[in-house]
Amino acid sequence: MLSMLAKLLKALNSESAPGQIALAFSLALIVALTPMFSLHNALILLLVLILRINLSAFLVAVAAFSLLAWFTDPYAARLGESLLTNPGLQDTWTSLYQSDFWRIAAFNHSLVLGGLVIGLLAFVPLFMLSRVLIRLYRERVLNWVSRLKVTQVLKASKFYNLYKSFAE
Amino acid sequence: MKQWIRWSGLAAFIVIAVLLTVFFAFAAGPLVKWSLESAGSEIAGARVDVGDVSLTFSPFGFTLQQVTVADARKPMQNALEFSSATAAVDIAPLFLGKAIIRDLSVDGLQFGTARQTSGALEKKAKTDSTDSAAEESSLQDKVLSVAELPSADEILARENLQTEAAGAAFQQSYKTNRAAVDAALEGVPDNDALAAYQAELQALTGEKLTSVDDFKERKAKLDALKKRFAADKAAVAAAKQAIADARTDIAARLTDLRSAPAEDMASIRSKYQLNAGGAANVTALLFGDQAGEWARQALYWYEKIQPYLSSSADGDSAALASEERLRDGRFVHFPSADPWPEFLLRNARISATLPGGKLLITAQDITHQQAVLGRPAHILVNGSGLQQVEELTADIVLDHRSSPGNDSLTLTVKDWQVQDMNLGLADTRMTSSLVQVQGLAVVSGGKLNAKADAQFGAAAFASKSKTTLAQELVAALASIDRFDVNASAGGDFRSPDVRFGSDLDRQLSAAFSRRLNQKQAELEARLQKQLQEKLQAYTGDYADELQQLNELDGSLSDKADALQEMASAKLEDYETQQKREAEEKAKAKEDALKQKAKDKLKSLF
Repeated sequence: MLSMLAKLLKALNSESAPGQIALAFSLALIVALTPMFSLHNALILLLVLILRINLSAFLVAVAAFSLLAWFTDPYAARLGESLLTNPGLQDTWTSLYQSDFWRIAAFNHSLVLGGLVIGLLAFVPLFMLSRVLIRLYRERVLNWVSRLKVTQVLKASKFYNLYKSFAE
Repeated sequence: MKQWIRWSGLAAFIVIAVLLTVFFAFAAGPLVKWSLESAGSEIAGARVDVGDVSLTFSPFGFTLQQVTVADARKPMQNALEFSSATAAVDIAPLFLGKAIIRDLSVDGLQFGTARQTSGALEKKAKTDSTDSAAEESSLQDKVLSVAELPSADEILARENLQTEAAGAAFQQSYKTNRAAVDAALEGVPDNDALAAYQAELQALTGEKLTSVDDFKERKAKLDALKKRFAADKAAVAAAKQAIADARTDIAARLTDLRSAPAEDMASIRSKYQLNAGGAANVTALLFGDQAGEWARQALYWYEKIQPYLSSSADGDSAALASEERLRDGRFVHFPSADPWPEFLLRNARISATLPGGKLLITAQDITHQQAVLGRPAHILVNGSGLQQVEELTADIVLDHRSSPGNDSLTLTVKDWQVQDMNLGLADTRMTSSLVQVQGLAVVSGGKLNAKADAQFGAAAFASKSKTTLAQELVAALASIDRFDVNASAGGDFRSPDVRFGSDLDRQLSAAFSRRLNQKQAELEARLQKQLQEKLQAYTGDYADELQQLNELDGSLSDKADALQEMASAKLEDYETQQKREAEEKAKAKEDALKQKAKDKLKSLF
């Protein structure tokens, strides 16, 4: 886990495009908010692997957002339930239900749908926010942090050596 | 754009996918084997062993070899066993963890085969304790007590007979009264004494008085004799009274004695009234064991599957409220011709081998989520050309789409050749019969409502038992060729109230009635005879003595008359005798003179 955090910090501090890291966060949110073994998560994994999305950021974010999901799952499931039982959407769901593909996608699972809807709704805002924050971090926080005595102490620690080994 | 694409990532994805596929291909068999054994054992309550599981790809599915399911009630026996089974599984639902078996084919299904090792699980299943054996035993005892006839000797020895009591009272009365009569007779003069009295009286009153003193002396003797007559008369009167009392008392006892056998007979008849009431439940006893075994088998399997028939929480809004359901979410199903419950067996074709032939079992839509499927489970058992059954059809519909569930069994058996069927009572067997059966059982909300009609034709019965019950039962059954049996069961399906009714009961009751009436008549005749013998034993010995008593009474009357006559004899005094003699002489003289005068007058004319 430490190495994963080190990799994340390296990514944040490196020349990686902020968009790659921000996309990792956004995709990780979807994975974390929905059941792990889902078709859309397999597609997300494919995207994460094919696209130059920072893997470390993605994995750390999945772990972090999974903690968040523990609190939000009931609300996500309730949202999915309300959508799936919404009379106005019944025709849509029924027509999707006739397709094996959509059923394999588990669209009719309340937590999958609720989590996916929340993840998709939060996708763009989180992407934008992450990009801004990463830029701010690199422009202001990184230099300020580097000058802190705490950072100096940390640089002498094992964790920093680990970080350095990944940085080189 | 290039900087956004990572081709090595694609390779990694492919590698991951291939690794997962390979893992699945190798691990699927053992995983399925483990799942079947663990889940099966939990359901069956006994060991489930799967010999081998192999994965097939065309069609995608599994092949199971040598599967045994132990009988929880008899661990050294398999409830069922089959040599091979092939299941074709839909792939798409597997991605969601749903097992949809399109076709299942099971060959060589057998029931009740022996095991080499115990099939009991470590945690021993609860054994149902039933008191049915004790109940049947007590019911059998009841019938035995009704149908078993005690002998006349046993009844007479067992009962406090009025005849014997009255006989003893009669004997005692006779002895007491006879003693009283004998005591009274001791003071009564016998015939010799009476003759002596007669002679003495003649001597006193018949001879001529010679003087006044002679008169006085005879008078004194006659007075003394009269006093003895008076004493003897009193003794005779006392004896007569004693005899009269004895006769009255003995006659009363005799009347009691003579009426006692009839009273005893009435009492015994009321106590030992043999009726065919006990035969009303004979059908239950005859077929209860066999039918009970079939019902127990059916209910055993039904109980096993019943918990899995209830609709799951899918679509159940009440269950949605649970916290776990709220967190994990649920599948919401929509109308479809191809719904995906968690588990579904679309079609199954099972060939089972029974001792009497082969059964073909087909099943459709077996699932524990019928609300999702929208169709009830349907199982059809068909036996065609069985050795002893021309045609057997069991149509089972398990409908749990809504609560409460509604399960039904429709059974038809055509031309069932019953041979050597143990009837479970008095070692009685139905040696042969041709039976037609129609049955319908419905379980709804845990309540069983079942009814079955069976028509038995060309029935023949036999019993090797020598007991009275067996002999009477076979004798009663011998007159019955055709009969119907109606069985019904109701109440909680785990402990249903089973009732049997049939015209066999009626026929058996009639046959038993005839046999029992005949037996009753025989018994009563024997009882009557023995009671009469007892009466004769009491009255016969005393008949002569009673006659003597009667004759004695007549003899005493004669003696009393004689004594009365003798007591009335008088002695003339001496002067009266002289005067009477003078008057007799004067009269004789006057008569002689008159005769002389008449003779003279006659001569004149």
